Amino acid sequence: MNQHKDPLPERLRPIESLIREWLWIDRGRTIMLDVKRENLVEVARGLYKEIGAFFKTCAGVDERPLWGGYAVHHIFGIDEEGLDVVVYVRIPEKDYPWVPSIVREVPAADWCELEFRDLLGIDPRGRLTQRLVLPDDWPEEVKPLRKDVPYGYRPPRAEETKPAEVGMYPSGVPVGPYHPALHEPEYFELYVEGEEVVDVRYRGFHVHRGIEKLAESPRFDYNKVTFLAERICGICGFVHSCAYVMAVERAGKVEVPERAEYIRALLLEVERLHSHLLWLGVAAHLLGYDAGFMHAWRVREKTMILAEYLTGSRKTYGMNLVGGVRKDITPEKVPKILKVLEEVAKGTKKVADMIVSVPQVRKRLEGTGVLRKSDAAALSVVGPVARASGLNRDVRKDYPYLAYKDVSFKVPVYSEGDNLSRTLVRVEEIFESIEIIKQLLDRMPPGEVLNEEWDIEPGRYAVTSVEAPRGEDTHLLITGVGRPYRWRVRAPTYANIPALRPMLRGQELADAPITIASIDPCFSCTDRMLVIDVRTGKRSVLVTRPQVKVVSLG
Amino acid sequence: MRVRTPRALKRSIWVFHLNTGSCNACDIEILDVLAPFMDAERFGVKLVASPRHADVALLTGPITRETLPKVVNALRAMPRPRLVLAIGACAVSGGIWHDSYSVIGGFPRLKKILEENGVVIDRVVYVPGCPARPEAIIYGLAVLVGLLKKKVRKEVKEAGER
Repeated sequence: MNQHKDPLPERLRPIESLIREWLWIDRGRTIMLDVKRENLVEVARGLYKEIGAFFKTCAGVDERPLWGGYAVHHIFGIDEEGLDVVVYVRIPEKDYPWVPSIVREVPAADWCELEFRDLLGIDPRGRLTQRLVLPDDWPEEVKPLRKDVPYGYRPPRAEETKPAEVGMYPSGVPVGPYHPALHEPEYFELYVEGEEVVDVRYRGFHVHRGIEKLAESPRFDYNKVTFLAERICGICGFVHSCAYVMAVERAGKVEVPERAEYIRALLLEVERLHSHLLWLGVAAHLLGYDAGFMHAWRVREKTMILAEYLTGSRKTYGMNLVGGVRKDITPEKVPKILKVLEEVAKGTKKVADMIVSVPQVRKRLEGTGVLRKSDAAALSVVGPVARASGLNRDVRKDYPYLAYKDVSFKVPVYSEGDNLSRTLVRVEEIFESIEIIKQLLDRMPPGEVLNEEWDIEPGRYAVTSVEAPRGEDTHLLITGVGRPYRWRVRAPTYANIPALRPMLRGQELADAPITIASIDPCFSCTDRMLVIDVRTGKRSVLVTRPQVKVVSLG
Repeated sequence: MRVRTPRALKRSIWVFHLNTGSCNACDIEILDVLAPFMDAERFGVKLVASPRHADVALLTGPITRETLPKVVNALRAMPRPRLVLAIGACAVSGGIWHDSYSVIGGFPRLKKILEENGVVIDRVVYVPGCPARPEAIIYGLAVLVGLLKKKVRKEVKEAGER
C-alpha cells in the first residue's frame, strides 16, 4: 500500500517518535501511520488532545488472508488541514486478537471498538465491554465479518445466558422500540427523578442488516455495491453511494468526468433540501404543532417531484456508478429546476418563519437539550449538531470534494447548542443548498458523464468523507478482487447519538422527544450491521427479553 | 384464508406503522401519503400509536433478527381481522438483503414464524417498489380493505413448464 514517500506533515511532528513508518495514501489528503500496538494509546492521546484532531471512526479488518493477522484502523481527521490520519495497528494473534482500548483518551471511539469486538472478535483491552451490534440471540462464538464465515450464514439461536441487571434508578420510562415519535425501531430508556431526566440508555442496532458483509460477498461487484450503499438509508442514501464511489475512484485512481462531479453535488444538495424539510416537519409534529408538519411536508413534496424529474425516482436515485453518473442533466431541464427552487425557497421561508415564531414552539426549542461546545468536541459530533454548538465543521469546506471547491456558500454556526439553534442551522442550510444548486447549474461544464474504462487493483486503500444532511459520513475502503475487500461505513448519527446523554440530562421529561429528534437521528444508517446494549456511565444495564416484550406491546 | 372485511373497516382505516428494519425510504413515503399532497386522511386513514388500536399494519423492511420478537408481539397485539400491508421490496421478499445473516427476509417467511407462534394473519397485500410510491401505497390499502379489486392474479409455474 506504500504509494508516496513524502515527509511527515508539520502538524504530526509531536508524535513522530511513536510512529514506526508512515505512508501517504493520497498525497495531501490521507496519511497512514503504522504504529506498534503498545504505542497506540499514546498516539491516540497525542492526536486527540495535543494535535486537536477529531476522531472519525475505527474499523477492524480481518487481514489473515493477506499477511496472517488482524488489523485495526483508527481514522482521525485534522479539519484545518483537510487531512485524514489513519492509525494502523497490526495484531499478530490469530486466535485471540486484542488491541489496547483508546476510549479513555478518545471517548468518541466507544462504539466502534465494541463493534469490531462483536463482528470480528478483536478484544479492546482495558475497558468495559458488552454486546453492541449483534442480536441478543446471536451465538457468542460466531463473528460474521471474519473471512472464514460464509456471508449468508444464519447461526441457530443461542440460549440467553445474560444475567438481568437492574439499574440504580427506580423509574425508567421506555421509549420504543415502536413509539409514535420514532419512525424506526429503536429503544431508549429514560431514567427520571420526578420530571427530570437523570440518565438515558440507548439500545439500537435493530436495523442491522449485514451490509458490510454483503458487499464482500460474491453477489456483488464494484458497480452493484453503489446500489447497496444507496439502500443503507432511505433519506440520505445518495450520500452513502457517493461516498462509496468516491472511495473506489480514489483507491483505484479512476478518472471521473467533471460534469459527473457537478451532477453528484447537485443531487446531494437536492437530498439535503428534502431531508431538512422533512426534519422541520417532524420536529413540529413532535412539539404537537401538526399544522407545521403539514406545511413543511407540502413544501417538501416539490423537492421530491424535482428529484423524480432529475433522476427518475423519488428516493434511492440509482444514479451513481463507479466512474460517473448514469443520467445527464440536460440544459432543457434547467428552467424547471430554477422554478421549483424558487417555490421551495419561498415556501420554506414562510413555513420556517411561521414555525419558529409560534410562541409555544419557540419556548420548547429555546434553551432545551443544550450541548456545550466542550462536550461536542470531546464526542467528535458532526453536522448541524456540531455547528449549533459552536464547532465550525463542515466536510464540504474542510475536505473539499466533488464540485464544492467551485462554489461559495456560508456555513451557519450558532453557539447556544440548544434545540432552537439546531433548528436554525438546518433552516439556513436549506437556503444555502438552494444557492449552491443555482451556482452548480450556472457553472456546469459540458462533456461526458460516465467513464466506463477502469480497472481496479486489489489492495488499494481510500478514506472519503461526505457531508450528509445529518453530518459527516465517512467510508473506508480496501479494494479486493472484483469487489471490495473491506468496506466500513460510519454514518453521521453514529457519531451523534452518544451526545444525547449530555443533552438529555437534567431536562424535563416532556422535552425528551424533541431533544432526541433534534440530532435528526437516522437509525438505519447507524445500524447497518447488527444489535445493542448501551452503557450508563459506570453501570452497564442490559435489556432483558421480558422487558422488551412489555415495551413492544406499547 | 378468505375473510370478508367488516363493512365498518372500509370507512375509516386506522393504520399502525411497523418498521421491521427498513431503510426509511418506504417509511417516509408512508408519511408522505398522510401529508397534504397525497392526503390519505381524506379516506379516513389515520396513523395510530398502538397496534391495539389499528385495523391495518403497514409493514416495511426485511424483518431483522433483532426486531423479530418485537414484530411478533406487535402483530399479536392487533385485533382481528389482522390485515397487513407489506410495503416495499424488502417486506415483499427480503429485497437486496434476502440472504444476509441478520435478516429473516420478507413477509412470507415472517408469516410462517407467526403461524408457529399462533398469530393468524387474515389478509395481506403486497406493495412492491423500492421504495413503494405513495400512489401504490394508497392503492394497496384500498385493495386490502376491499374498496378496489385486485388487478393481478397469482400463477405459479414450475421451471421447464410452458
